[in-house]
Amino acid sequence: MKSIVITGTRKGIGKALAEHYLNAGWQVAGCSRGDSSIDHQAYTHFSLDVSDEEAVIKMARTLKKQFGKVDALLNNAGIASMNHALLTPASTVNRILQTNVVGTFLFCREMAKLMRGTQAGRIVNFTTVAHPLNLEGEAIYAASKAAVESLTRILACELAELTITVNAVGPTPIETDLIRGVPSDKMDALLARQAIQRMGDVNDVINAVDFFLRDESDFITGQVLYLGGVC
Amino acid sequence: MPNRSDIEALILESVRTLAEDFEIEALLKPTAESALYGNDGALDSMALVNLIADIEDAVSEHFDASIALADEKAMSAKNSPYRNVRSLTDATLERIEA
Repeated sequence: MKSIVITGTRKGIGKALAEHYLNAGWQVAGCSRGDSSIDHQAYTHFSLDVSDEEAVIKMARTLKKQFGKVDALLNNAGIASMNHALLTPASTVNRILQTNVVGTFLFCREMAKLMRGTQAGRIVNFTTVAHPLNLEGEAIYAASKAAVESLTRILACELAELTITVNAVGPTPIETDLIRGVPSDKMDALLARQAIQRMGDVNDVINAVDFFLRDESDFITGQVLYLGGVC
Repeated sequence: MPNRSDIEALILESVRTLAEDFEIEALLKPTAESALYGNDGALDSMALVNLIADIEDAVSEHFDASIALADEKAMSAKNSPYRNVRSLTDATLERIEA
């Protein structure tokens, strides 16, 4: 049975991804700061902060004993904060960087070690169209995801010798908590900049992730795939 | 709690196994003074990454301790904890005791 680690599985895209791979017969390990919202015999939940190094290491040790190896990692956990840069406190900056950048890095580091025996490890990080579109009000969120994209490309080089691919998917806005509170005129303006002008759906994300996880995708690494025709 | 010689024995065994897997003749019979990485070390960066992950696994399995041997002095010729078996033993022990 293939095993996959997905961060941020309590709700939204992460929960949908976990349910998708459970239905596809994968063994899934998820995490969130809160308790699990998924009840399935092939699902294991860890309550932790993704930027807590010690907690991430302990999760990896537990997975080593429980699964033996990890085939794939989806670094879905992320937070955003829409605000003008001049009104953004340093505490918000630190919080976003810790979760989006440090959390992504720690999971890549620890789970890559557990992929060594698989011969075909897969890491998919999560970025956003807010970065290529340079969205006003998203300075820190977009900057954190720019860091994730850079991390993705460099890890792709560093982990290639371990036969691990590292790619990223950049969803457009999707109806989740992450964009709750964004004014509708801002959302309309954002959608107008996409080649395909509609809100994204969680199935759009699942399709892109499925593509990166396929056995046949072993020659695809270091790539960032934006949805909706954003480039 | 494991003592220093327990840790050193575990690291020597990990180095020996890695040397066999990667066919590194210089490390088939390692000692505490065996150079690992940098200067006269026989490991390239990929072999080092594998060794570190192997040791972390072994520490978890044998001593039930969750440690990471990541270190900001990794690339330092003088102070890298990965430069030889002795320095790696020190670094491992330090993390287990932390």
